[in-house]
Amino acid sequence: MKRFWRRFVRSRGGVLGVAILAVVLAVATAAPVLFPGSPFRRVDRPFAPPFGRQLFGTDVLGRDVAAGIAHGARTSLTIGVLATSVAVLVGTVMGALAGYYGGWIDDLLMRTTEFFQTIPTFLFAILLVAILAPSVASIVFAIAVVNWPAVARLVRGEFLAMRGREFVQACVCLGMTDGRVIFRHILPNCLSPIIVTGSLSVATAILIESALSFLGLGDPNVMSWGFMIGAGRTFLRSAWWLCTIPGAAILLTVLAINLLGEGLNDALNPRLQR
Amino acid sequence: MPPSTGRTSTSSYALRRLLQAVPVVFAILVLNFLLLHLAPGDAAQVLAGEAGSATPEYMAQLRQRFGLDRPLALQLVLYLKNMLALDLGFSFRHNLPVLALILGRLGPTLLLMGTTLVVSVVAGVALGLLAAARAGSWRDTLISILALVSYATPLFWVGLMLIVVFSLKLDWLPTSGMETVAAFYEGWPRVVDIARHLVLPALTLSLFYMALYVRLMRAAVLEQAGMDYVTTARAKGLSETRITLSHVLRNAVLPVVTLAGVQVGSLLGGSVVVESVFAWPGLGLLAFQSLFARDFNLLLGIFFLSACLVVVVNLMVDVLYTLLDPRIHA
Amino acid sequence: MRFRSLTLGLTVLLAVGLVLAAGEAAAQKRGGTLVMLVQPEPPTLASYISTSGPIGQVSSKVYEGLLEYDFNLKPTPGLAQSWKVSPDGKTITFTLQKGVTFHDGHPFTSADVKFSVLEVLKKAHPRGAATFRELTDIDTPDAQTAVFKLAAPAPYLMMALSGYESPMLPRHLFEGTDIKASKYANAPVGTGPFKFVEWQRGQFMRFDRNPDYWRKGRPYLDRIVARFVADSATRTAAIEKGEAQVGGFAAIPWSDVKTLARLPQIETTTRGYEMSSPIVQLDFNTRKAPFDNLKVRQAVSYAVSRQAVIENVWFGWGKPATGPISSNFAPVGFYTSQVRNYNVPNGVEAANKLLDEAGFKRGAGGIRFEIVHDQTPYGEEWQRYGEYVQQVLAEVGIKATLRYEDVPTWLKRLYTDYDFQLSSNWIQGLADPVIGVHRLYHSRQIRPGTVFVNETGWSSPRTDELMDQATIELDPRKRAALYQEFQKLVVEGAPLVWVHELQFVTVYSKQLKDLIVSPLGLYASFDRAYFDK
Repeated sequence: MKRFWRRFVRSRGGVLGVAILAVVLAVATAAPVLFPGSPFRRVDRPFAPPFGRQLFGTDVLGRDVAAGIAHGARTSLTIGVLATSVAVLVGTVMGALAGYYGGWIDDLLMRTTEFFQTIPTFLFAILLVAILAPSVASIVFAIAVVNWPAVARLVRGEFLAMRGREFVQACVCLGMTDGRVIFRHILPNCLSPIIVTGSLSVATAILIESALSFLGLGDPNVMSWGFMIGAGRTFLRSAWWLCTIPGAAILLTVLAINLLGEGLNDALNPRLQR
Repeated sequence: MPPSTGRTSTSSYALRRLLQAVPVVFAILVLNFLLLHLAPGDAAQVLAGEAGSATPEYMAQLRQRFGLDRPLALQLVLYLKNMLALDLGFSFRHNLPVLALILGRLGPTLLLMGTTLVVSVVAGVALGLLAAARAGSWRDTLISILALVSYATPLFWVGLMLIVVFSLKLDWLPTSGMETVAAFYEGWPRVVDIARHLVLPALTLSLFYMALYVRLMRAAVLEQAGMDYVTTARAKGLSETRITLSHVLRNAVLPVVTLAGVQVGSLLGGSVVVESVFAWPGLGLLAFQSLFARDFNLLLGIFFLSACLVVVVNLMVDVLYTLLDPRIHA
Repeated sequence: MRFRSLTLGLTVLLAVGLVLAAGEAAAQKRGGTLVMLVQPEPPTLASYISTSGPIGQVSSKVYEGLLEYDFNLKPTPGLAQSWKVSPDGKTITFTLQKGVTFHDGHPFTSADVKFSVLEVLKKAHPRGAATFRELTDIDTPDAQTAVFKLAAPAPYLMMALSGYESPMLPRHLFEGTDIKASKYANAPVGTGPFKFVEWQRGQFMRFDRNPDYWRKGRPYLDRIVARFVADSATRTAAIEKGEAQVGGFAAIPWSDVKTLARLPQIETTTRGYEMSSPIVQLDFNTRKAPFDNLKVRQAVSYAVSRQAVIENVWFGWGKPATGPISSNFAPVGFYTSQVRNYNVPNGVEAANKLLDEAGFKRGAGGIRFEIVHDQTPYGEEWQRYGEYVQQVLAEVGIKATLRYEDVPTWLKRLYTDYDFQLSSNWIQGLADPVIGVHRLYHSRQIRPGTVFVNETGWSSPRTDELMDQATIELDPRKRAALYQEFQKLVVEGAPLVWVHELQFVTVYSKQLKDLIVSPLGLYASFDRAYFDK
């Protein structure tokens, strides 16, 4: 464990990633203190440009953009990180089992995956949210459901490649249980693609939430970065800050998670050359 | 239970998968049918609301005409019976057979998604290699940041900005649509016209997909670069280029192939955002509008074709694995 | 001698000049393809059974009606060359134009009028049943004469005979078939200046000039193409670039209209919507608490700032509404502003006072009570409108939770289940209050399951009486007096908040002339429109 931390701290990117995330989380937690009251209330004239009386200006109904970013961080992070984590978790387990065991388990799991691949991603999300009625929970569920097939296919591919390697055969000869082989030996070697897709998926999750909100399928009583982008979309050319600022927030978060992921990869996968 | 080590030949594996395909697609159809019917509301309600006369009598008439007043199980059985005869049904909203509607939008969809696939894979792989070759350098950082930015930026933003720059400000390309409606070109001028309309939407989508390939490729190449066989090859005196292209690439490309397979499988889903921003007449926008109109016949038709494609492509990718890496066996 | 030849010479010069000018004007006029943005893509072209908004923009080029209208809301000749209303109002004799043919060559006669009105519009058109309720029969003594026989006078009927509201259909193609499932639904054949050519789903509809149009010399345009572009920013870009020359009925978002208007090649107009007259509303459910209380309803009506809604949500487009009848009816005298005025500067104060009087004191967090506000599911402006309402209600201590559902779900909730407290809405006043306004306030119009009728639950014997009398009153002055009393009573009772008269804007290319020539605007046939390059 200590070895892991030592290696992690050595990765500059990883540390930077953690730092940025910490700031974002701090802002999210401190939102009611920094910006008391509802972020939906009117604070000034509409379309006030940034760096005036409000740090990031106001939107079409005179709402404070900075307050929106702070209050929205909690929702967007929840949706983005939670949905992606579930998708990555489920996808990894499915893919690992399918790739490792092969045979009928592979067939069963992959045929299940194919069902989920059939319906176009965005449509599937809309359909699920429409069925379950819009709420943060249903949105998280919908986004997780549409994202896990890609992860499963990726992990399965990696496991298929790893399965025939000598080190795996050695483990089997040594009498290790399947679980140990899968999770302690093969998986750490497959982390790269999982981390890459996982960290980028956080962006997709928040953007799907934005598209849902734009369509009126979000929760109109909860502030989120996705809601802000959706509401600012029509004013892209006139009030650029309405889309750009929440967009930058998403970018920063995704960058941080990406860096964090690379740090994790460095720490867990010592053979990686930098 | 240890992994199976019995080797089966590729062709018998392919055959087994193809035989599985039929019941799989069938099962997918049934599940899709049930899933769609979980959504509240039906086509009659939507049409009646639009027409401005949603009296109970009118809606009952519509339901009877569309066959929606029959019990769900009966509707499902009738639907499956038609599907066995490859009759995809009728779209009551559009007053046209489903197959005709889909075929009309299939060409533009394949054109857009196919171009995107080729461009994003080729560019993604190339940029990923470039980034990995000088890992840690400013070139690597630049490519990585650009990939991140293009993936995390909303598609509608990229699309609209491209329209503003290339169509409005520079006047090089048209704003939207698949062809210039007022001109009614034929023959070669029509091909050029469509090609000009294809540039911006394909570019928008490619930037998005490319990002994932860049990052995946880079990560995979870096991983391979640390392997023993690379050190051996270098010791043997092979050039870096030869090592990269003949040895590392082949091993690193596996996750790229997997993801490309997923992308091909989702080809028929189009891209709702790009199609709507650029008014590109694709299946994505059609499916999207059908969902809101509760035009289930049309949606199920699209899902059916999509299911066939997914099953076939997954099979092809699995076969491709064995060709790429002989250590993988089915 | 020289003087006379000079005069002659000048006259000849003048004559030649005039001829040249006329010739040049005529040469400028003919030709060109008009590309029109229609949003959203119409679900069908059968305007005789569907009143869905976008259909009218395209079907009106193919189908015509008996009458057209001028900006004073007076009927002008359409397919009917002249008409006579009997003194008792129960007989209307239409003399039809001569030499009119359908696009397939078949002549248009009074038999087509009789079939279209009695067999199609009265039976299957969503508003037709109400519009033609008093119509008992149509006599056709000869091919050029149609006589409408009414059981009681119907002064509003004359306003509902445009090509948009009551299209004249080809009897020989529809008779004997199932009207609701005709193959001509999406391949219309009419008498209009443009013929339907093709409909590429998801892309465009094309209409070519009708060379045999009965108005000789017209139409001037070669063809009209309706383009369907799903994204609003792209529509704006298309107009900016000149790829499309017309966009109306909210095809161009209100926030972009002013920017486009500044361009030298673009014009905008709010004319052409006078027979639509939509009003943006907030509907109360007067059956349930808290909006069963008159004071609470009036309070909300005072609290809403019409100007703020117009400025912030519709970007300056709109006119504060005073009551159930739009000011577009001022030329015919139906409109009055002499009603209780809720649009006062100290509205929030007045609202707070009324709510206190009603017994809803402020509690914890300054909240008096909570409600659920249903937003109209028609798109972005409506989402912002709902959010504004939430803001303004919060100022008077009402906590509103927003709910946004898709159209069929919202319609069912509002018009079938009556399961709502406060909902946004917008309803068109249409060509005459009998057609557009009565349906919201008459007791007989409380019909669960039917949409766009009386869902607030407003029921007053006096206003019912006023509406019934106005329906058959032929004297315009007496009719006006009836409606004025009606407005006073309804506004006092506030079953809903009349926020503003929605102003649609048509954005079009400066080169396009004679585009909006009647209050029907884009719902007219464009037979006079031309490009002046």
